[in-house]
Amino acid sequence: MTPYPNLMGFWAVCISWSALFLTAVSVYLYMDTRKNRRQDAHAMGGLRFVRDFVFVWILLGLLGLYIVSIDRGSSVLFASGNLVVEALLIAYTVKNRPPKGPKTEERDS
Amino acid sequence: MSKQKAQELRKDYWSFRPTEAYGSLGTSERGLSEQEAQERLEKYGHNELPEKGVSWTQVLLRQFKNPVSGILFASAIVAGFFGQLEQSIVILAMILLSAILGFYNEYNAEKTVRALRRSVSVKAVVTRDGRPSEIDASLVVPGDVVSVYVGDVACADMRIVQCKELEVNEAALTGESFPVEKTSDGLDIQGPTPQQLTNYLFMGTVVQHGSGRGVVVSTGKRTEFGSISTSMAESRPETEFQRGVRKYGTMLISLTMALVIGIFVLNTAVGHPIIDSLLFSLAVAVGLVPELMPAIVTISLSQGARAMAKKHVVVKRLVSIEDFGNMDALCTDKTGTLTSGKISLQDYWSLGKAKDARTLHYALLCNGAVTGEKITGNPMDVAIWEYAIAKGIEGEIDSYTSVDEIPFDYQRRMMSTVVAKDGKLTLINKGAPESVLSRCKYAETDGKRGPIDSVQRLIDAKLAEYSNAGYRSLAIAYRMMNAKTSYSVEDEVNLTLLGFLIFTDPPKKDAQQAVAQLNRMGVDVKILTGDNELVAVKICEELRIPVKRVIRGSELTQMSSTEIRSAVEEGTIFARITPEQKLDVIKALRTNGHVVGFMGDGVNDAPALHEADVGISVDSAVDVSKGAADIVLLEKDLSVLADGIEEGRKIFGNTIKYILMGTSSNFGNMFSAAAASIFLPFLPMLPMQILFMNLLYDVSNMTLPSDNVDEEYTKWPRRWDIGFVRKFTLFFGPFSSLYDFLTYGIMLFIFGASASVFQSGWFVESFWTEVLVIFVIRTRRIPFITSRPGKWLAVLTLSAVAFGTILPFTILGHFLGFTSLPVQFWALLILMVATYLLLVDAGKVFFYKICKL
Repeated sequence: MTPYPNLMGFWAVCISWSALFLTAVSVYLYMDTRKNRRQDAHAMGGLRFVRDFVFVWILLGLLGLYIVSIDRGSSVLFASGNLVVEALLIAYTVKNRPPKGPKTEERDS
Repeated sequence: MSKQKAQELRKDYWSFRPTEAYGSLGTSERGLSEQEAQERLEKYGHNELPEKGVSWTQVLLRQFKNPVSGILFASAIVAGFFGQLEQSIVILAMILLSAILGFYNEYNAEKTVRALRRSVSVKAVVTRDGRPSEIDASLVVPGDVVSVYVGDVACADMRIVQCKELEVNEAALTGESFPVEKTSDGLDIQGPTPQQLTNYLFMGTVVQHGSGRGVVVSTGKRTEFGSISTSMAESRPETEFQRGVRKYGTMLISLTMALVIGIFVLNTAVGHPIIDSLLFSLAVAVGLVPELMPAIVTISLSQGARAMAKKHVVVKRLVSIEDFGNMDALCTDKTGTLTSGKISLQDYWSLGKAKDARTLHYALLCNGAVTGEKITGNPMDVAIWEYAIAKGIEGEIDSYTSVDEIPFDYQRRMMSTVVAKDGKLTLINKGAPESVLSRCKYAETDGKRGPIDSVQRLIDAKLAEYSNAGYRSLAIAYRMMNAKTSYSVEDEVNLTLLGFLIFTDPPKKDAQQAVAQLNRMGVDVKILTGDNELVAVKICEELRIPVKRVIRGSELTQMSSTEIRSAVEEGTIFARITPEQKLDVIKALRTNGHVVGFMGDGVNDAPALHEADVGISVDSAVDVSKGAADIVLLEKDLSVLADGIEEGRKIFGNTIKYILMGTSSNFGNMFSAAAASIFLPFLPMLPMQILFMNLLYDVSNMTLPSDNVDEEYTKWPRRWDIGFVRKFTLFFGPFSSLYDFLTYGIMLFIFGASASVFQSGWFVESFWTEVLVIFVIRTRRIPFITSRPGKWLAVLTLSAVAFGTILPFTILGHFLGFTSLPVQFWALLILMVATYLLLVDAGKVFFYKICKL
């Protein structure tokens, strides 16, 4: 039996709230930037929105994984799910990273 | 001009005859008596300018004058009041750690500045009781009769009562690089500017030629020099960086107050004891505050100052370094900054197709400069010699013998010499073109002599061309003479024009490259000069500065403040402007949102140096100018400007890293702590544990100022953008909260943790994520792969992580209430933190790219 069963609901609300808050901030920043750059406003189709928000979909998937694995008290599910998400995040980052910039400046210490 | 100074000038000493001037100042040709001088010394004080020093207590107190210290002090007092001495002591330790680090770095920098200040004892030749004697310039009083000679620096403001060929360089006061002719005659003018007072000698100006006597009108801070210097003592305007820090502090206080009140109310509402709720709220408040921010900023600035010192740039006011980096408009005086401030002979020309070398030979033969180890005299005569020596032709006049000289005077504006060669006598005449031309009957073209009327148009056109291009000219003429016992001005007739000498104040050798580099770095260069627009345009052409618009001082006078704000955006050259107008231009640019630098070297530049976000001066500048500057370039090499800007941008980059990282991760952690405190049956972390984690976190950040900075970050000026900090905090804060809640879940529902195990587990997770995330946030690139962190940052951060990891197993850990953690936790922690860092990195890509921030 899960210890502290009465806290599970509170906990799920808290972790969901932080993930949903992050999602809401992402949407706000995305919309705000496009509002300020009118040339992009018309180009925002449904597909573009889905593609631009891959990061958010991964985040929400991660939230689902965490809630399910902890609800079941399964560290194996938690660990394996993490590894899958890490692979997805690496793929996302590699695909969306801007081209390599110039050399990093060394600081005199 | 100050009111006091204006009143001094309104006394009309300039309109008196010399004899009246003596009387009006209560003195005579014999000077003051010693007794009267002593009484006046007591009445008017010493002839000195006030010096502003900084004591160690001031530097120490400055460390506590920031909102961060205010929040921490308040927390320490409240904790102490409720009997939590340990908590109070830890908070005070944080404040002290920050203050000591800041004080150590800043005080050392202040000492370096003081060491730079050289005390020079200046002397003056003063006639008292009819006897001239040399006294300390600080003892000179109004009414004293002072004699000046070539090379002297005027020790006070004086009405000239007697002079002989007196020429004074007033560049330090007015920006005019050519010497000004002085007279002892009364002037019939109303409300004159200092430039119009040709019968005045101003303190700080230098006698270039001739000699004179003056009656002292005003001394010390009542002089023109002093009134400018005194205005420097007033408090400096807030820099862009200081404004940013203040806005950030306000944001932080609002956020902290809201969170603390919310936590306290909710904790009390759910039934937690009031005192416990209050102390926990305070600990969260302390956790939110980036305690070491003042120290990190000071360390960054001090390191930057040391790096710049290696490049011979002295940073006098540390806070200006970041504005130096963020500067997007550099206003600069012309003379002595972009130009060498020294007149040089650019070229010479003759009327024919080929240049006649005799033009230069004759200029050397008709020359008042004294040659020896050092060439001294009128700057134009000196420039002729320097040109000849540089070309190696000074020996070509050895075959001439000097016979006689008709000296220069200001009525004729010319001089003549009579020289002999091969038994033939030649009178050579050199002077202002209009004066010489009026005495010329002939002109020599390609070795042939003809009437000057035939080439008059050519001469006029050529002179106008050079004048419009900002050059100054001297004409050379001659006539063959018969031998006689003496020669006089009556012989200066029927001359034959030979050619002209062209003078200029040339740009510094590296100025063009430096200006181009500044433009590439996003810094718009504007010239603010008291000199005329033609000269300024010529300098811009030589330096390849594109001139969008030339605005004269007289035009600025007619403009409203709104029009000035618009004009400063378009104007590249602001010519014939007064020191007050320089201030107006800088103020308008700052109002328009620019971070403004000003570079100048004269007394007239001091107010502008004071007003700008960054005042830059050069080592050859007058003391008052160096005193008003934030940054002094010790070498003439202007390329150090770009180096300094780059250094400033790196420092700004590292300061912003600390703020972004601290605000976002602290915000996330403390937010999750607040939420947990409401639903958990125990505190998620004890107040002392929160404070200790903060202390450890701060220590790990100590080497952040030495971190590497990505090259693209230094390409353009950056600004304090509090909106960006807010967005960054809102976006990255929840990442930290998400993983805090995840840890709660693991600790509660997988390990069924007790209070101490829960607190230990969250401490370790929270510390790992909070500290390690710096490697992701510090760059927009791929951490470690395309952007390596600084060596010391990596070492200290990883050491701190190691310490935080073993802490729960130590005696200190047990004292703080920590306990050992299950082995399985560590495995999950590694996985979890790896995912967290990858998620933040992906979030970073999303934040900067998808949101186009």
